[in-house]
Amino acid sequence: MATVLDGPLPAAEPSAPSMAVATIDFDEDIVPILTKAGCNSGGCHGKQSGRNGFKLSVFGFDRDADYQAIVFEGRGRRVFPAAPGSSLLLAKAANRVPHGGGLRLEEGSAEYRRLSEWIVAGMPRTDARAPRLVSIDVQPRQQVMRPESRQALRVTGKFADGSTRDITRMAIFTANDKTLAAVDRDGIVETTALPGESAIVVRYQEMVVSAFVTVPIADTASSATSSTTEGPRATSAAASASATALAGWDRSRFIDRLVAEKWERLGLVPSPLADDATFLRRATLDLIGRLPTVEETRRYLSEPPSDARRERLIDRLLAAPEYADYWALRWADLLRVHREELGPRAAHAYHQWLRGVLERNVPYDVWVRQLLTAEGGSETNGAVNFFRAFKDPNDLTVAVSQVFLGVRLECAKCHHHPYEHWGQDDFYGMAAFFPRLQRKQAGGTEQRFFVADKGDVTHPLTKAVIAPRVLLGEPLSIAAGDDPRERLAEWLASPANPFFARAGANRLWAHLMGRGLVEPIDDMRETNPATNERLLAELAREFTEHRFDLRHLLRTIATSRTYALSSTATGPNARDTRNYSRAYRKRLPAEVLLDAVCDVTGEPESFTGMPPGTRAVQLWDNRLPSVFLETFGRPQRKTVCSCERLGDSTLSQVLHLLNSPAIHDKLTAPSGRAARLAASDLSPADIVRELYLTALSRPPRPEELAAALAAFTAPEATRHTATEDVLWSVMNSAEFVLNH
Amino acid sequence: MSFHHGRESRAERSTAADSPRYCDGYARRSFLRLGLGGLGGLGLAALLRAQAGGQIGLGAGRARAEEAASKSQRANGNGSAADGAPGDDNHRPVKAAAKRCILIWMDGGPSHHESFDPKPDAPTEVRGIFDPIDTNVSGIRVCELLPQVARRMHLLTVTRSVAHHDPGHGGGNHYLTTGSPTPTPIGCGDSASFHPSIGSFIAKERGAPAGLPAYVQFALPSALRSGGPNFLGSKFAPLLIANNPNNPDFQLPDVTLPPGLATGRAQSRAALRRSLDSLERIADAAAADPARGLDSFHDQAQRLIASPLARKAFDIESESERMRDTYGRTMVGQQCLLARRLVEAGVPFVTVQHAGWDHHTNIFKYLKDRWMPIFDMAFSALLDDLDQRGLLEDTLVLALGEFGRTPKINKDTGRDHWPGAMSIVAAGAGLPRGLVIGSTDRLGAAPEQRPLKVEDYFCSVYRKLGIDPHKEVITPEGRPVMIVNGGQPIAEWF
Repeated sequence: MATVLDGPLPAAEPSAPSMAVATIDFDEDIVPILTKAGCNSGGCHGKQSGRNGFKLSVFGFDRDADYQAIVFEGRGRRVFPAAPGSSLLLAKAANRVPHGGGLRLEEGSAEYRRLSEWIVAGMPRTDARAPRLVSIDVQPRQQVMRPESRQALRVTGKFADGSTRDITRMAIFTANDKTLAAVDRDGIVETTALPGESAIVVRYQEMVVSAFVTVPIADTASSATSSTTEGPRATSAAASASATALAGWDRSRFIDRLVAEKWERLGLVPSPLADDATFLRRATLDLIGRLPTVEETRRYLSEPPSDARRERLIDRLLAAPEYADYWALRWADLLRVHREELGPRAAHAYHQWLRGVLERNVPYDVWVRQLLTAEGGSETNGAVNFFRAFKDPNDLTVAVSQVFLGVRLECAKCHHHPYEHWGQDDFYGMAAFFPRLQRKQAGGTEQRFFVADKGDVTHPLTKAVIAPRVLLGEPLSIAAGDDPRERLAEWLASPANPFFARAGANRLWAHLMGRGLVEPIDDMRETNPATNERLLAELAREFTEHRFDLRHLLRTIATSRTYALSSTATGPNARDTRNYSRAYRKRLPAEVLLDAVCDVTGEPESFTGMPPGTRAVQLWDNRLPSVFLETFGRPQRKTVCSCERLGDSTLSQVLHLLNSPAIHDKLTAPSGRAARLAASDLSPADIVRELYLTALSRPPRPEELAAALAAFTAPEATRHTATEDVLWSVMNSAEFVLNH
Repeated sequence: MSFHHGRESRAERSTAADSPRYCDGYARRSFLRLGLGGLGGLGLAALLRAQAGGQIGLGAGRARAEEAASKSQRANGNGSAADGAPGDDNHRPVKAAAKRCILIWMDGGPSHHESFDPKPDAPTEVRGIFDPIDTNVSGIRVCELLPQVARRMHLLTVTRSVAHHDPGHGGGNHYLTTGSPTPTPIGCGDSASFHPSIGSFIAKERGAPAGLPAYVQFALPSALRSGGPNFLGSKFAPLLIANNPNNPDFQLPDVTLPPGLATGRAQSRAALRRSLDSLERIADAAAADPARGLDSFHDQAQRLIASPLARKAFDIESESERMRDTYGRTMVGQQCLLARRLVEAGVPFVTVQHAGWDHHTNIFKYLKDRWMPIFDMAFSALLDDLDQRGLLEDTLVLALGEFGRTPKINKDTGRDHWPGAMSIVAAGAGLPRGLVIGSTDRLGAAPEQRPLKVEDYFCSVYRKLGIDPHKEVITPEGRPVMIVNGGQPIAEWF
C-alpha cells in the first residue's frame, strides 16, 4: 500500500494483515480468499452448474459443500498436501495451467501462500468448536474527506468468544457511487473532485457493513490542496455560511435537529420557510389528496401566522374524512385491491376494510396483525382478501417482507441472495407461516378462509419440511390446531423485529418529503443505507413509542420545520437532492390531479358503475377505464412495489392536459366553473382572483392579474372565452401540476 | 422511479391473460422475444467459405461480409473485440453508417435456444423439442420457429456470444438499454435509471427534424424500465406511445386542438399560459426541477401541435391493407410498421416493444403458439420493407432482450434467466449480411468463440450511428461520464 493517506488513519496502523494466524480455518481463512478472488461468483464456479466440473456455492455461503468440492471431489487433484504447488486449486488460480478465469491469485501473494499453507497442513476443516464470526466493523465509519483525497478503511471481524481480528485484506469493497468515491481491493477510498456523499459497502462472508464518505459541498469550492490538518468538518466559507444560517434554526424537534446536523456536515444552507399559501396547499395535497377549497384558503390566510396555526391545520387535515379515502388508495395499491383478480364484491370489501381501519386510526401494527391473521368470508371480512391477492405462501412471503418489512426476499426463493444474508431457509421459513390457511367456496363468488390443523412448506431442493421462522429468528414449533400466522403477527411489532417500524416510517417520510431516507423505499438492506441513518432510527423509535399511530407520525413529520421549507433554492442547495434542505417538488399523483382538474373546472368525473360524485381517490376499482389515470401513471396493482405509481412527467401528460377533448369539455361545460363565473356579476379582476384561489390557493400577483385581465380585453375575446382561457392557462402551469 | 406496469388496452388484455407471469410476479409488458438460433455446430470459417463460394446471393453486402469475416477470424484467434480493432480507434471520427435505429426490445429475456442459437446435439433436457432449420445462408441454422426469418438470414448479423452477469429483469433491462450495469443490485421487478438510455443519447446526439420527436418508444404494455433520459433531462425523454397501433382508432393522441377551438385563440391562450406559468424555476440542472421538465415538454408539445409532420408519420391508416397484413395484425407487427414510418420521416430512434418473453413455464407452447410467430412475421416484414425502400442501407435494426435463458429446461417446462449467454440480432447500416459472430458452448451456456461484453455491443451501435462511444458527457452535477464505459466495437460489424 504505497500510498499517501491524507485522511486520519484508523486507530491502529493496518497491521501486517492477519494472514499469520496460528491455526488455519477453512471458513475464516480460505473461503474469503476464494470469494475475494471471484472464484465463487455467480459467473464462475459459483454458477448453479459450477464451471468446468468445479462447483462452489455463491460467495461461499455453503461452506460444507465447498469443503467437499475442494477436498474430496475432482479425484483428489484439487489439493495435494505432498506437493501443494501441484494442487489444481493453486495451479489454476495462478494460471500456471490454463484457466478459463485467468490469473486470480499471484504466486507468492499472501493469499496464495495462505492457501498453500492450508494444503500443507492437510486441509483442516473448521474446528466445530471454533468461535463463530458474529459481526464485522469498518473504521472509520463516517468520514468527512476532502476532494481528491484518500483514506484507508480497516475491517475487523468480531467472534463469539469476544476476540477480534483484522480482516481488511479479505473483505470485499464496493463503492455505491464511483463518481464520488472509488475504493480499491485493499480498502483505500479515493474521493473525486465532486462533492456529495457516498457509501462504501464492505462484505465479508455473509456480513455486510457500510462506511460513509462525505465531501462537503463547501470544500470543493476551495482548493483540494489546502492545509491538511483541519478536523473532520466542513472547513470553508460555505461551511461557516451554513453555521451562520443555522444559528437561528429551531432544533426542538428531532427531525429538524437531525437534518441540520447533516447540513452542517455538508455545508448546506436550507431554503427559507415556504409562504403560508404554499404550505396550506402542500399539506392538504399530501395528507388528504385534494386541493384546499377557496373557503379553507381564505380562512387559513386570514389567521395570524404561527407554528400553532400550522399545527392546527395538520390536525384538522388528519381528522378530515378524506384522509381515509386517500390513504386507503395508497395502501390499496400495495395490497393489491384489484377487481379483476378478486371479483368486485371482494375487492370492494377489501377496500372498505382498509378504509375503515385508517378512518378509525387503528394502530398500524394492530391492523397489520388483523390482516395477517384474517379468517372468514371474502365478502364479509374484507381483510381476508389479502390471502386472495397473494395466493400462496411464496407470494405471501414476498408481499409481507416487502410491504411491511421493506425487505425483498424474492431472490432468496430460488437461491441464496447474492448480495445479502438471506437464503432459501429465510424465504421458506417465512412461507411456512401460511400453509395451514385453507379456503373453500362458500356459495356465489364468496370464498371462506379457515385454519387447518396442518399444512407444511417444503424446501424445494432438500424436500425437508421447513419450520416457520421469522427473519433473524429461530425455528418455531407450532402445535397442531394453532395458527402459525399468529406468531408471525406477534413478531411484527415486537422489539425483536428491527424492520417493521423502519420500513413504515420510511414509507410515510417518503410520501411527505418526496424522497425516502432509503430508496427504493421498500428495499432496505445493509448495502443500501439510508441517507440519514440517525433520522430514520429516530423516526422508527417515535413510531414505535407512539404505538404505531400513523397519524401521529404523519403529524410529527408535517409539523417539522423541515417539511415547511420552500421548494425554491438558495443557491448551492439547488444541488441537494437527498438531504431535505429544500422541499422537493412532486407531480400530483394521477387520481389527485384528476380530482383537482374536476374541482377547478367545476365538472366532476363520472366513473362507470360508481355513485355520482365519486372522486378518483375514492375509487376502489383501479381497473375502471380512464385515459387520464393511465396517462398519469396509475398503478396497475400487479406487484407490491411502490414503484408502480409513476411520478414522472411525460410529453403525453402535457399534451393531454393541453388538448384532450375530455378536459376541453370540462372547461367549456355550461355548468362548469368558467361558465358560471362568466355569467356572474363579478368583475374580471374578481373572476381572476377566484380562479387563482381555486387552482393555486393564492391570490394572483399584480403582474399575473394584469396579464390575465389583458385576456379579457383582447380583440375577439368575450368574458366567457377569457375566463376559460385564464382557467386553462392556470391549469396547465407547473404550479398547478406540481406539489411545490 | 419509473416502473410502468402492464398498461394494456382492452384489445390486448385477452392476450395478456394468456401470457405467463414473470418470475417476479409482474405480468408486465409482453416481451420481445428474439429467436436466436444458430449456426448449428458449424464454425465461422465454414460459413465464410460458404459465403465466399457464392452459395447465396449477398449482393452489395457480400464484400463487406467477407471483409468482416476475415476480421472475425483474426479476432477469434485473439479472443477479444479489442484485438480485432488495432489500437483504440474509438475516438477516430467515423462517418455514420446508420442514420436511424429501430430497436425491437424483447422484454423478459428471449430464449437463445429456441431462436438464433439452437443446440440440436445437446442432451434432451437442454435441446428442447424444436429442430433447427437451414436458412438461406448456407451453414447458418436457426430454430424452426423462425421460418420467415430463416429466408432472410442474408440480411442479418447474429451475435451469439454476448454474456453478462445480471440475472434480474431490472438490472438486465438497465444494462441492455443503457449499456451500463447498475452500480448497486436492484430487485428483479424494479426499474432503475442510473444512466441515460441509448435512445436518449441518440436523441441528444442526432436530434430530429423540426416537428418530429427524436426518440419514440412504444409503451405497451408499459414503458421500458430504463429507457429514460436520466441526467440528460426531459428534453431527451422518449415520446411514449401508449395506445395500440393495431386498434382501429389508433392515432397520436392530443396533438390536435380540441374541436371548436380556433387557431387564433389557441395561439393567444398559449401565450397567456406562458405568461402565467410563474412558479420560480431552479436554474441549476443538478436540482432536476420537475418544473423545468414540464417546460421542456411544453416546448416539445408546441412543436408537435404546430407540425403536420408528426401526425403524418403516425398515420398508420394511410398504409395499404396489404402492407398492414404483411407485418401481422398484432400489436408488435403494427408497431414495427409504424416504426418504419417514423424512421422514414426522420425520427432517429424508435423502440418497438415485444414483451412477455419471460417463459419460466411452458416455454415451448408459448413460443410456438404466439411469441415466435408474431416476431417471425413482424421482423421479417420490417426487414423486407426497409430493404425495398432502400432504407436498410442506413437504418440499424436491433432485436434483443435483457438476457438469454437457462440451458436446462426446468421442472415446469420453462427456461429461467440466463445472462451467461445471449444472442443479439442486427441488420442494416452496412452490417455484414448473413453472418454469425461467435458461438456458445455445446449447451448454449457460455460464450466459446469470440466472447463479447455488453459494452462491446453498445460501442458497436454507437459507432454505427457515428457517435464516439467513449465520448465524455458532463452530468448536471459536473461529473464526467462516458457514454459507454469500456468495451470496443465488434470488428465484424464494420
